[in-house]
Amino acid sequence: MSNADLDRRFAALKDAVAGELPPPATDRAIAAAVSRAARAPRAAARGDRWLAWPLALAATIAVLSFVVRSLPPEAIVSEPALKASGDEFLAVVPFADIESAGDALVVPARLPRTTLAQLGLPINPARAADAIDAELLVRRDGSVLAVRFVY
Amino acid sequence: MPDSPNDMPVELSERISASDAALAARVACGDAAALTPLYQRHRGSVYRFSLLWSGSAAIAADVTQDVFVHLLGHADAYDAGRGPLLPWLLGIARNFVHRRAGVDARYVPDDVDVEMAEAAEPTLDEAIDWQRALDRLRAAIAALPPHYRDVLVLVELAERSYAEAAAICGCELNTVRSRLFRARALVAQALRASSDTRSIARG
Repeated sequence: MSNADLDRRFAALKDAVAGELPPPATDRAIAAAVSRAARAPRAAARGDRWLAWPLALAATIAVLSFVVRSLPPEAIVSEPALKASGDEFLAVVPFADIESAGDALVVPARLPRTTLAQLGLPINPARAADAIDAELLVRRDGSVLAVRFVY
Repeated sequence: MPDSPNDMPVELSERISASDAALAARVACGDAAALTPLYQRHRGSVYRFSLLWSGSAAIAADVTQDVFVHLLGHADAYDAGRGPLLPWLLGIARNFVHRRAGVDARYVPDDVDVEMAEAAEPTLDEAIDWQRALDRLRAAIAALPPHYRDVLVLVELAERSYAEAAAICGCELNTVRSRLFRARALVAQALRASSDTRSIARG
């Protein structure tokens, strides 16, 4: 049996199960588990509320990294103008949100260089895979308000 | 720069808030309701992986339930910095489905020359029935040793990358490649054996 024939069979099997979902009983069981947990939140969770924002921040940074990796190549231009971008924070949410954020924090982070393109800044294609030092302005709930790149 | 500072950033902000990592962080902090969108988003992938691995809809349903109940109680174990959520969930599904199949996770038969059982009972029907061909393929996969089955289902059927499969199985990239190569050879061998037996039966 050739590799192509085997691949064809795998593709057919994949198609055959493509629409398969767990039965409604599983959906109900999960909904019940969520409902139980919501009524009686774990004591540990209640006691560890202070973990909420660092966890959310870590998640946010990870997702920001993931999102900007999928940027279109047309956003990439040469880097000579990079230095002219200045060192001020660039807003990633409406300014009104920043003004109402209260005591936001500045947190250092390393982001993919493609983050620059997401924010309309030029990047050098040769260094696109490198990380860049940045500082994030972060609200207490972990959401990122603004970013500043440290060259 | 964007025409307005609000254009792309709002979308970016929304995407981040609705992301798996943010929802998992909320679950970890006791917000159980955040599990619901994660379940809606990933239940199919977890169920199909378990179904293809086990060949049993009942086991797949149980494993899917186990995975998301586990997530509800252990979301803090997920580190978004190490990769997306779905491969992490599939790793948990793999553990549960192994447990239900009675597989010893320490047993790694990579350098063992595995004798394949015949994939399925031959059919006397002379017509080539695609559904039966798929059944034979399912049976051939179900007859694979667990560690070969892991990589075959993950890479060929669940469309995970080699790197993700390596992370899920806790092995090296080259191990994934060699297991996949061997798994494909065993499936092909089983399908050939099944086909030969049918030919003999037809006389």
